[in-house]
Amino acid sequence: MPEFIKTYVRWVDRVNRIIGRFAMYLIFAMLAVLIYSSVTKLMEFPALWTLEAAQFIMVSYFLLGGGYSMQLDSHVRMDLLYGALSPRKQAGLDAITILFLIFYLAFLLYGGISSTSYAFQYNETSYSAWSPPMTPIKSIMTFGVFMMLLQAIATFFKDLAAARGESLS
Amino acid sequence: MSYEMIALLMFSTMMLMLLTGKRVFGAIGFVAVVFALGMWGDGGSEMAFSAAMKLMKWYPLLTLPLFVYMGYMLSESGLADDLYRMFHVWMGPVRGGLAIGTIVLMVAVSAMNGLSVAGMAIGASIALPELLRRGYDKVMVTGVIQAGSSLGILVPPSVVLVLYGMIARQPVGQLWLAGVFPGLMMAGMFILYIAVRCWIQPDMGPALSKEERAEITLSEKIGLLKAGVVPLFIFFSMTGLFLMGITSLVESSAVGALAATLAALAKRRLNRSVMEETLRKTLSISCMFMWIILAALAFGAVFDGLGAVKAIEGFFVDKLGLGPWQILIMMQISFILMGMFLDDTAMLVIVAPLYVPLVGALGFDLVWYGVLYTITCQIAYMTPPFGYNLFLMRAMAPPEVTLKDIYKSITPFVIIMAIALGVVMVFPQIALWLPEWHYAR
Repeated sequence: MPEFIKTYVRWVDRVNRIIGRFAMYLIFAMLAVLIYSSVTKLMEFPALWTLEAAQFIMVSYFLLGGGYSMQLDSHVRMDLLYGALSPRKQAGLDAITILFLIFYLAFLLYGGISSTSYAFQYNETSYSAWSPPMTPIKSIMTFGVFMMLLQAIATFFKDLAAARGESLS
Repeated sequence: MSYEMIALLMFSTMMLMLLTGKRVFGAIGFVAVVFALGMWGDGGSEMAFSAAMKLMKWYPLLTLPLFVYMGYMLSESGLADDLYRMFHVWMGPVRGGLAIGTIVLMVAVSAMNGLSVAGMAIGASIALPELLRRGYDKVMVTGVIQAGSSLGILVPPSVVLVLYGMIARQPVGQLWLAGVFPGLMMAGMFILYIAVRCWIQPDMGPALSKEERAEITLSEKIGLLKAGVVPLFIFFSMTGLFLMGITSLVESSAVGALAATLAALAKRRLNRSVMEETLRKTLSISCMFMWIILAALAFGAVFDGLGAVKAIEGFFVDKLGLGPWQILIMMQISFILMGMFLDDTAMLVIVAPLYVPLVGALGFDLVWYGVLYTITCQIAYMTPPFGYNLFLMRAMAPPEVTLKDIYKSITPFVIIMAIALGVVMVFPQIALWLPEWHYAR
């Protein structure tokens, strides 16, 4: 494998790991917001923003964590036939099938960009009593999808290398 | 091409893609995007992302990462160890008693958690090695843990019932209560099976020896009962407060997660590595589920656009000319068959929206159907080639348990579950009595 691909894979791995480790702690933010919400309800001044804020955190949590979850190999596969192959053949098959994943992520990104630019253009706000602007969360979501796409491409290179009997890491 | 044909083609393409062993969310998302583009051209290109916005607005999904967190907090911090020891000591003298104790443990874990992951982790790390060491039959033990942990989605709280409630627009409180008695009944059936089997074949589950029993004093036995306090505390702070109407559904999951953390802290089990493992595994499992749901929502949107609900209704009612009960049974069978090959979460998000309106139109109670649905999911969790519990078991089991053992182990339990499914179908009151009683007051 050429040197620039190795560098690319190394950098994407490193950046996604940092982002994913950060996302990992967002669950505490979610927890805090929801606990705060139940406390305010008990004290009879329910906060308007908590549920929506928790939703924003949840979406950021799994979209920003996506790349890291690919590194951890958390995504299940049906291994009825796949499991019977040798590791090298598995990598070869992966190098093909991940192209479909990249295709899907590319459209996810396309939709994200168009939705975010719409939000910027019209200063979109959410339909709720709190009515926060949608640009920040949409930007975060699109960024998460983008990093997931970069990770998928990195995984493609890793699979390709493994299929050829090389190792990138 | 007719819409029915397109729908069928979509489904079969997805199945084919899954067979290549690619990541499930990739297979589903790819098929969704390709068909959306093919049918609506440019208009379909943003559909994948609109699914993300839709997912965000499904607020009960907030409970999912929190339940996962809670489950890992329970298993990683070893909070269940004491509980296991308690059942171990109390049930030990009976033949097959440790396996029975494991089932009871699983019911307790299920009452603290909404997924089967925690039960699997606890069962595989604590109960499995211990039972094997005591000469229990490995095939039976493997089955016990898989079947027992699957109760996690039937006994409240339950993430599957939350997802179902979202799709069927039914109150989660009623659904959770409806799961109580079927869950306990199923646990009872498992216990009965183990007791009878071990009574006939004592070598499958030997009782603790006399000497070993003599070692444990009565005061020690009673002292161990204190282990039951922690689950009661967690159960009350989560499900209890929710049913009393003090916390909302999502808030209750946060309170539960906090309670589990506090319990681990109070027991001095919360250290850096427990926290690290819990957080990393929570992210890993939550991401897996969320990305699948994200893709499945896009898939479901295309299906919806095809008018698949009408097509299925037309197929069952007009073409086959079946009565309501026959349709219901056919649907359950098709669910089980699909559940074998399809990812269970994806099945919920894709197939449930197709079936649930039909069930409602046939005049069945949707809360009751939620319980039937969940039991079907339990079966799907365990049946090869695609089942989460099978995957988890394979990843967690010690080397002497082979893949063949795992596959073999599920047969009796799947039969029991199918019987339980039939019983709840014939006697809906098993599920419906408790919610009716609670909400009539």
